[in-house]
Formats: sequence, structure tokens, C-alpha cells
Amino acid sequence: MSSEGGAPVRGLVEHLFRRQWSRLVAALTAMLGPDRLDLAEEVVQDAIVRALETWPHRGVPDDPAAWLARAARNRAIDVLRRENSLQGKLAAWDPDAPPPARAPHMDDELAMIFLCCHPALSRGARVALTLKTVGGFGITEIARAFLAEPDAIAQRLVRAKRILRESGAELTPPDPDALRERLDSVHDVLYLMFNEGYQAASGNALVRAELCTEAIRLGELIAANPVTASAEGDALLALMYLQASRLAARMDVDGAPLLLDEQDRSLWDRAMIAHGLRILERSARDDRVTRFHLEAGIAACHAGAPRFEETDWARIEDLYMQLQALNDSSVVALNRAVAIGMTRGTACALTFLDRYADDPAMQRYVLYHATIGELLRRGNEPERAAEAFRRALDLPASEPERAFLRRRLAACDQLRETP
Amino acid sequence: MSRFLLLAYESPVAFTELSPEEAQSLLQRYIAWTERLRAGGHLLDSNKLKDGAGRAVRREGSEVVVRDGPYAETKEVIGGYWLIETRDYDGAVALARDCPHVDYAHLVIRQIDEL
Repeated sequence: MSSEGGAPVRGLVEHLFRRQWSRLVAALTAMLGPDRLDLAEEVVQDAIVRALETWPHRGVPDDPAAWLARAARNRAIDVLRRENSLQGKLAAWDPDAPPPARAPHMDDELAMIFLCCHPALSRGARVALTLKTVGGFGITEIARAFLAEPDAIAQRLVRAKRILRESGAELTPPDPDALRERLDSVHDVLYLMFNEGYQAASGNALVRAELCTEAIRLGELIAANPVTASAEGDALLALMYLQASRLAARMDVDGAPLLLDEQDRSLWDRAMIAHGLRILERSARDDRVTRFHLEAGIAACHAGAPRFEETDWARIEDLYMQLQALNDSSVVALNRAVAIGMTRGTACALTFLDRYADDPAMQRYVLYHATIGELLRRGNEPERAAEAFRRALDLPASEPERAFLRRRLAACDQLRETP
Repeated sequence: MSRFLLLAYESPVAFTELSPEEAQSLLQRYIAWTERLRAGGHLLDSNKLKDGAGRAVRREGSEVVVRDGPYAETKEVIGGYWLIETRDYDGAVALARDCPHVDYAHLVIRQIDEL
């Protein structure tokens, strides 16, 4: 942005429009009701367009946020005036009055997160809607991050809003019983959002980093409110900080992913790690151990190792074992195998992976073959390793992943020729 | 030195599809461009015109008829202008070329007749 726009402009703080989008859409939706979410978005978009038409001539106003709020409010009044159906609502609404009373224990933005994570919506719709409505991301930006077509994202959003309308969802905090369940959905959405950004393998790197930043911002909002804060949410927040600390070190200059043993650890963000560790400590306030606690614990082990060789693999293996018992997935199983390889040797790890030899889903999974290849390579069996990498290359994968696999394959072939 | 009017024609839909982040980045380009005009001593005046509030006045037979408009929804509406000073048309075109407005709608340059 700055390379195109030149010197920073006074009053125009970074992400101003995006933050104000989020704040104003939430405030207007609180006033007009979630069934008018479309109208709220339309008038805020309109306010941004007006700023874009006016500020180049007049300069950035002294209080840009207030300017945008007034523009959005005036536009909403115009639209409502034309709609007879909402005359009543309009009559009760004094545009010059301060923003109306907020939900008792939750501010509008936080309530919006909970609305976007409504159980009537699919997981994919929850993430897209949260990014659009609370994150202020555009449809093309969301599409870029998810490697989807903008039309598909637009349709998903239209459908999601219709479902919200039809289910009569409200912008009031769920009652204590429902809150617990809804909080799980919110955590899940933030986790998906963060991981979507963190997987450096594909998509636009800049947008992806912003997904991570946004997930952390929303995680902080949730942790800062006594009603929504939880040990589990803190563990998730700690996990995100600890992972994000490595963002700058995860790719080489050509954008190819780097593994933990290849990363320049001086590029890891120490302040972020310290912050993540503090939150992780805070998250241990009750006896409940969630998947986020375990994953954050693993991330903390990596973050705490000054060199790859000093990694506490025994602890990592133990954490992965607990994680697999709690929340089994292919990725967890493969990571556990890697940890076993580091503590008890690659032969042990390969024996552990034998149990998936007849698992059709695992057989179609690129990382399964890549992990076996890596274990065989470390176990000094370049011939069989090359075979596994070739099998991985036969499966669909992103270009940076393929480049990585080809590099490994070439190294194995070279090893074979010069024993 | 001559004076030129850069007339910014609006495109009714150009900005509506921008995400907040894209809009901010575009705004930054507009302001940077205006600052360059100012720093080069070219900028004399600049204004946005009020949307949809124009009046068309013309004589029809014996009376003068006043109509509202033009409206922003129609094409060919001037949304704003920059009054600049530079040596000739080539100079004015060189300055206009970098204006981000040309990426979304178009500019028309007219020289002020000083005679």
C-alpha cells in the first residue's frame, strides 16, 4: 500500500476504513436489527465511497471516524425515509443522539461475532461472514485467501444472510447456556481463520497475514470481555500468538515454505512469543485441557528452543499423543509420527505410521507420503524415500509444496548416486 | 504559464465494489497525487461538486425552464475538478496521467482561455 501511496497521510491510520467498517456495521445492525444487515453494509460502503470522493479535495477531516459515522447515518436516514415500512423505526431514531445503549454485557462488535457464528450457518459460511462483516474484508480478498471464485464467496454470503434472517437470529448476547456452545463455534471460526492465513503454501501472502492479524484481534476482543473470556479462548489466543511469531521466518525469498529446522530463528518475533507464553500461563487457570491448550503447548516448545537440535521432542510427542486422543486428525497423526521419529528414531515412527497403510483417506493425502519420505530420508534410505516423494508428487498439491517435494526428491536421487 | 481545468467525470459504480482496504489504498494514491501537484506549484484550486443537486436552466420559447439534475446515476456527471497551472497541454496531460482517477473513470482537460 505505502509503495503506491507514497508518504503516510496525516489522520489516515492504517486499516482505518476496515476498522470503521466493522464498528459502524455493528452499530447500525444493533440499531436496525440483524435482518437489515444488508442495509447496514450498504450505507457504510456508501460512506466510504463518499470519503473517497471528498477527501482527495478537502483533505482528511480532523476526526475521520466521526465523519464516516455521520455519512453512514445520514445515508441510512435517506434510505429509511424512502421505505414506508420502517417509518416507525426512523421516528424513534434521533440521528444526533449518541449511539444507543449497547447490549448489557457485550459491545456491538463482539455481539456481531456471535451473530456471524450462529449455529444455523455452516462452518464455511461462518468464517466468510465473520471476515466480511466483522473483519471488513472485501469479497475478492476473501476469495483470494480461500482460493475460491469471488462469485462463490458472494453467493455464500447472500445465503448466510438469508439463513440468519429466516432463523430470526438476534444481535443480543446468547444466554449463559447457549453462550458456552456459541463460544465453541466462535473459537472454531477464529482457529479456521488463523490457519487459513497461516498456511503459507498457497494464496496471496499479504492477505493471508492479515487473516492471522484479524483472528488475533478478535481473539483479544473476546478475551477482554469477562462474559466471553475463557481458559479455552486464552489458550487459542496464546496458540495464535506463538504461531504468528514465526510468520516472517516461514518462507524463503522465493516464497517457498521453510520447515522448522530450516528457519532462521533470529527472525522469530520474541515479543510475540513472550506475550503468547504469558497468555498460555493465564489459560491454565482451571483443570480443563482443551485441544488449544495442547496445540499452544506444542507451539511453546518450538518457540522455546533456541536451536532446532534443542527442541524438547519428548514433551512434544507426549502432547501430540494427548491431542490425538482428544481430537484425532491426519495432521495430528503425522505430526505425532515426526515427534516419534525425533525421540525414538525413524524406524519407530514408520512402524507407528504402518497402522495407516490401509487407510484410503491417508493414502490420498500428500503430507502422508511426504512425511514417510522425510522419515526414510533421515533414516538413510534414499531409494525408498525417493519412492515416497514420487508418490506424493502424483497427488494434487500447491505449487510451493510441489517445489518442496521436487527439491527433496532431487536430494534423495543425488544421495543415491554418491553413496 | 497557462491554467487548465481537470474535470473528474464520475463512474456511478466504479468505487462501490472496492473493499475498505482497497478504498483506503486508492484514497492514499489520490492524496499523494494532489500533494505532488501542490509541491510542484501546480495546484490552484480543487473541489468536489455536490451529488445530484444540479439545476439545468434553459429558455424554452418565452420562459426559462429549470430542471433538477444531472443525477449521479446517469453517465457523464462531473463529480469534481482540479484547477492547475502548467506550461501547456502536454504538461497538463503529464500531470493528469498519474491521477488515480483515470484508473476508475476519466478526466477531461480544458485550458482556460486567458484572452
